[in-house]
This record gives sequence, structure tokens and C-alpha cells, in this order.
Amino acid sequence: MPCAEALRVQAYFDGELDALGALEVERHSEHCPECRALLEQLGQTRERLRGELEFAAAPAHLRASIARALDAEDAGTADAGAVAGLQRPRAPARVSARARTRPFWLGALSGLGGALAAGLLLFLLVPARPGAILDELVGAHVRSLMPEHLTDVVSTDRHTVKPWFAGHADVSPVVVDFTAQGYRLVGGRADYFDRQRVAALVYQHGAHMINVFTWVAGRRALPELATRSGYHIACWQLGNLQNCAVSDTGWDELQGLVRLLRAAGEGEAPPG
Amino acid sequence: MDDKRARFEAQVLPHLDAAYRFARWLCRSSLEADDVVQDAFLRAYRGFETLRGGDVKAWLFTIVRNCHATAVQQHKRRATVPLPEEGDQAMQSVLASGPGPEGASVAADDQRTLERLMAALPAEQREALLLRELEEMSYREIATVTQVPIGTVMSRLARARAALRGEWQRQVAGESRAVR
Repeated sequence: MPCAEALRVQAYFDGELDALGALEVERHSEHCPECRALLEQLGQTRERLRGELEFAAAPAHLRASIARALDAEDAGTADAGAVAGLQRPRAPARVSARARTRPFWLGALSGLGGALAAGLLLFLLVPARPGAILDELVGAHVRSLMPEHLTDVVSTDRHTVKPWFAGHADVSPVVVDFTAQGYRLVGGRADYFDRQRVAALVYQHGAHMINVFTWVAGRRALPELATRSGYHIACWQLGNLQNCAVSDTGWDELQGLVRLLRAAGEGEAPPG
Repeated sequence: MDDKRARFEAQVLPHLDAAYRFARWLCRSSLEADDVVQDAFLRAYRGFETLRGGDVKAWLFTIVRNCHATAVQQHKRRATVPLPEEGDQAMQSVLASGPGPEGASVAADDQRTLERLMAALPAEQREALLLRELEEMSYREIATVTQVPIGTVMSRLARARAALRGEWQRQVAGESRAVR
């Protein structure tokens, strides 16, 4: 008979428990040989599955035929535009073109006190809002996945990748290969955003690519964890460097790499 | 409208590889997977306005899954002879196109391939396992895609993992007997 805690142990293994729940499972498995064995077996199963499962990228002809299908759809709706407008009774058909180009919030804003509006505008005008940076990160990650865009320097050898950044980015990131832990270093690339040359390290984890971006930290702090368009983003600072890992891996899997990089970075950083 | 296309290309199209990976496991052939994925992206594009800042990948996978179900229904309706139940033979075509014509000794090895073991799992268990281990989705995301409660996801995962583990143990036991 399996232990009654087996499903909770599995949830712990899958990174689904909060800190308190995780602690409870850890305490429980100390005294339960069955659950200790289960954890070990789950680890072995995962390692073998992720090592052996085969997967293929979408073929180029499929990408092309989807683009064609969307083109046809766009063309179709353009022709049917007037009809579609009629079919939707709630569509504001009588709004004049001039009114429509006015952002909707402008009207609301004009009702507020001038000082408040000015303050809000000032806030909006401060460059490089965290949201904008997160969007740029996801954009850079997605661009990197296009054919031929992933890496500028292909190497699993940190002694090749690290010096390469010296001539191509404004920062020198932590470069370590974690193949043994399931994160293979594929190479590096230079990107440009937030008015800097940003270093990007590329790791592969199973079927997923992970970009780790490093640049000189700005004044505005980024959220530790965020999700944009289905991509997870984990951000951390090390000294004056801002690091962000972006991928469509699971949260737990992404944070696994972040933990490894943080530990490596803290080992590498000069004291003080 | 151009804006919709641009947003779709920025938010949904990047998940094409993942959607294809998933479809490839659902479908019997790569041809069928192509059709399912293309159909799914067209449907996703049409319904894109209904997606309000939700989980893009889980949303897209749900559509892929529904498109596959529709395709299966259509095949069943068209077929004069009822098709075998999904699952057991789903990966046959993958195996046929996979290892190549190496001969009978490889065919024996095929018995042991992971694909074979996966194919032997009930479809809903295989699906949960793939979404967790290959796509690295959370329980909540898997529950969204497969439209079952989280508790069901957990028990399917547990059963799938236990079944694979059991098979592997039996193989190891069989091999050691064969050596002796």
C-alpha cells in the first residue's frame, strides 16, 4: 500500500507546494522510507523521460502554410468588414473617426486634478518601465528562437564563451555549463536593449531553450518573477548586474537554473 | 486588424513548436499533426480577441486538443470500418518513421523504446505526463488544457509514472534473467 502522502510528495517533487507545504513533506519523508523511495524514483523517471523523449520542431512548410491561412483570413475579414460591423450590434458604429483616434483614457484623465495628471504623466514618461523591459526580454527571447538567431558564439566551453563577451557586450556575465544538472550551455549572443549591449547566454533544458540576459542594472527594480505571453521570466541582481532568465520551461525548472547561476555568481563575485 | 495580426504573431505564433510537439504525440502521423496544428492556429486567430491576458500556451494547447478531437470524430464518421481505439497504435507511425530499416534485431529493441511504453499508457495518462515532463506545465495549466480538476491531473500523473517505473523494472529483471 502506498503512503497516504504519496500525492503530496509528488506535488512537492513537481514544485507545486508552497514553502510551508514543502517543509511538511520534507519532514514527513525523513520518517517515511516509502516516501523517500518515491522521491528517488520520481527523480529517476523524470531524468530518463526527459533524456529519452523525442521531439521535433514544427516543419518549415507548416509555418508557411499557417502564415498563408492567416493571410487568407485577414483578406476574408477585410471584405466582410462591413457585414461584420452590422452583425455586431454592440459595436460603436456611429463613433466618428476623430473621436476614435482619441485614447479613451484621455477623457477620464481630463476630469482629474492637474497636479495628479501631471504626476501620472511624469510616472508614465520615466523611461524603461519594468513592463516595457519585460516585453523587450520576451521579444528578444522569441527573436532568438528564429532560425540562425540563437547564438553568435556556439560553445559549451565557458572559456570560449566568457572572453567572447568582452568584445561584444557591456558586461561580463557568469558563464557556467550545467549539463550535469540538465541545463546544457549552448552558447552566447549579444543583444541590444535598454540602451545597452546586453549579454545573452543560451541554455537548453529538454525541449526548451532558456535565454539568460545580463546587463548593468537600472534604477528601477524588476519583479522577481513574471509571466508574459506564456513565457516565464525570473529576474535577480548580482552586484550591479541585472540578470533575467526567460523561457517557456516550467517555473520550477526555470528557477532551478536561476539557483545554479546565483550560486555560481556568488562564488565568482569579488568580496565586498 | 494589422494590430491583431501583429499581436497574434508576437504572443501565439512563438508557441508553434510546442503546439506541434504536442500534436505530434496526439496524432498518428506527421501529416495529421500538420492539419491539426494549422486548423488550431486558424481557430486561435479567430478567437484571439477572447483571450484576455490569460495563459497563452495553455489556451493554445486546449485548442490543439479540441482540433484533434474534431479530426478524430470526422475520421470515425467517414470510416466504413471502425478505427481501433486511440492509444495502442498511436505511436506506430512514429516508430515506423523513426529508427529506420535496420532490421529485425532493432524491431526487438523497439519493444523497449520509450515511445512504445508511452503508447501503452492510457491516452489521458500519457497526455498528463507529456504536458508535465516535456512541456513542463504546472498542474493548473494541465488541468486547463485537459479540462479536468487538478486532483485528476495528480492521480493521472502518479499512475503514468508508476506504470513506466513498473515497466522499466520488469525490463531490468527480464534482462538479468536473459544474461544468466
